[in-house]
Amino acid sequence: MSRWSLARYSLWQARDFAIDRGIAILLIGFLWGYAFILPLRITMALQKTDQASPGWIFTLQIASAIVSVAVLIAVNGIVSTDRKMGYYRFLFSKPVNPILYYIQVFFVYMAGVMACMFVLSRILQTILPTFSIVNYLLYTALIYVAMGGIGFFLSVATRYDWLSLAAVWLGARILRTTWGPKNDWRSKAVELLPPVHKLDEVANSLIGTGTAHASDVLWLLGYGALFFALGLVILRRGSLAD
Amino acid sequence: MAGVPATDNDDRRPAALVIEFKNVGKIYKSLLGNSVKAVEEFSLLVAEGEILGIAGPNGAGKTTLIAMMLGYLRPTTGTVEIKGLPARQYVERNGIGYLSELIAINPKWRADTALVRYATLAGLSYSEIPQRVNYVVDLLGLAEHRDKKVKALSKGNLQRLGLAQALLRDEQILVLDEPTHGLDPVWTQRFRDIVQELRRPDRTILIASHNLDELQRLADRVAIIDRGRLQRLVSTGYEHAAPAATRFRVTLASGQDLIRAAFPDAEDAGRGEYDVTVQSIQELNTALADLIGRGALVASVVPQRSVLEQQFREAVGESQ
Repeated sequence: MSRWSLARYSLWQARDFAIDRGIAILLIGFLWGYAFILPLRITMALQKTDQASPGWIFTLQIASAIVSVAVLIAVNGIVSTDRKMGYYRFLFSKPVNPILYYIQVFFVYMAGVMACMFVLSRILQTILPTFSIVNYLLYTALIYVAMGGIGFFLSVATRYDWLSLAAVWLGARILRTTWGPKNDWRSKAVELLPPVHKLDEVANSLIGTGTAHASDVLWLLGYGALFFALGLVILRRGSLAD
Repeated sequence: MAGVPATDNDDRRPAALVIEFKNVGKIYKSLLGNSVKAVEEFSLLVAEGEILGIAGPNGAGKTTLIAMMLGYLRPTTGTVEIKGLPARQYVERNGIGYLSELIAINPKWRADTALVRYATLAGLSYSEIPQRVNYVVDLLGLAEHRDKKVKALSKGNLQRLGLAQALLRDEQILVLDEPTHGLDPVWTQRFRDIVQELRRPDRTILIASHNLDELQRLADRVAIIDRGRLQRLVSTGYEHAAPAATRFRVTLASGQDLIRAAFPDAEDAGRGEYDVTVQSIQELNTALADLIGRGALVASVVPQRSVLEQQFREAVGESQ
């Protein structure tokens, strides 16, 4: 009874995603594409055979950044908003398991992000026919799990999850750049940080060619999945009330 | 005519136990290491079919107790069980009709879609949802507001919407935290009627309120809490004799000159009203019968301070 009613509620969650986040993701993605990729296409005459050109690499980086921003928007407040605003009180007085509820939200939002990226990549494909929608969606799914898993954890653990996720993401990049090349304990310690350094490489290979190092993909997926699971454990063992 | 409400520091064990607080404590700890005891060694049994009031001053721990009962907060010590299950487990399996003190519904939702959402989560079938939503909308007079966004509702209408979502399903347990907060007098009375209609042998209702008069009218027993502790458990029934002197205001439509024949110590409050003190409900009834027998016409008899109010003042005074 409870699981079926929760499954039916996914339609409302999808609606919430579309109104609260989907439109924003589409607008930002479209504007970025319009501002950066379209001029590139015109000035550099980027064509099907230009996959090694700087313009193509730049396009991949923009496309990759749009995914990151989309994931940030999608998971921002995914749990913390209900707690901060007190919405959990009525939601979870119903016969609903909060763990299942938030697992469902996470994956409904993932489907939402994928749908947005599909629309954006379809538009991009009209100006860059060589751009692969399937590869882009694979990359989106990977980054949603990797980055979204950490975002989910932060949304359970803190009130300021958007800021925290941005700080963690940026901090990991800076620390890896600073300490990563050193050959001491610090270079080993930064290995524990979110694997943001793998994103560019994975983006270039996965979006560009549809392939990526299995170890990189597993590392990204595993990292996100671990934090997603940690978030669920905290949610189960902690208090729903803020 | 009002009677003398009985009071006892009731320790009767209910026949069919529904909710059990066992030595519950809750300590809030800050990151800096400061701690606040919100609830301490709280034990209470609530029976099936009972309406239990929870009264206490601000910050007494009422809302914390309710949050633990719904499994939103974990007790630091002790347990809360509902029908033998840990509280959260019971809620996840069965649901509870809950009206929170702060009505937190997404302000962007429309009133009726909010109800449809909650009805969906409550497990109502597709065919039941419109029927049940229409029922609670009519019951709580929300028909003209159902298309409005939640943010456009007045405090009173929002409170009614909160109550409507609590009544969507035929719950066995209802928990109402400050239910008449923000309601006008008409809807306050309507709410009381609704609660009386909701009373059923298999349904347990908890009402937390500052309004002692409301609890006196609605509840079977009232748990008075202060500083996180259960101070007293007061029965609000009228079936027993009052154990101590109680003051009433007697209003006479005629026969004012007869009052002192029945109540020798009556104090004239003006406009045909007299303050009288009696030791028991029997004494009150005997004197009233005498007064009426002498030809006086009694318009009303109202306790000046309910026994619950007296108990509350004593309990809160003692704890401080």
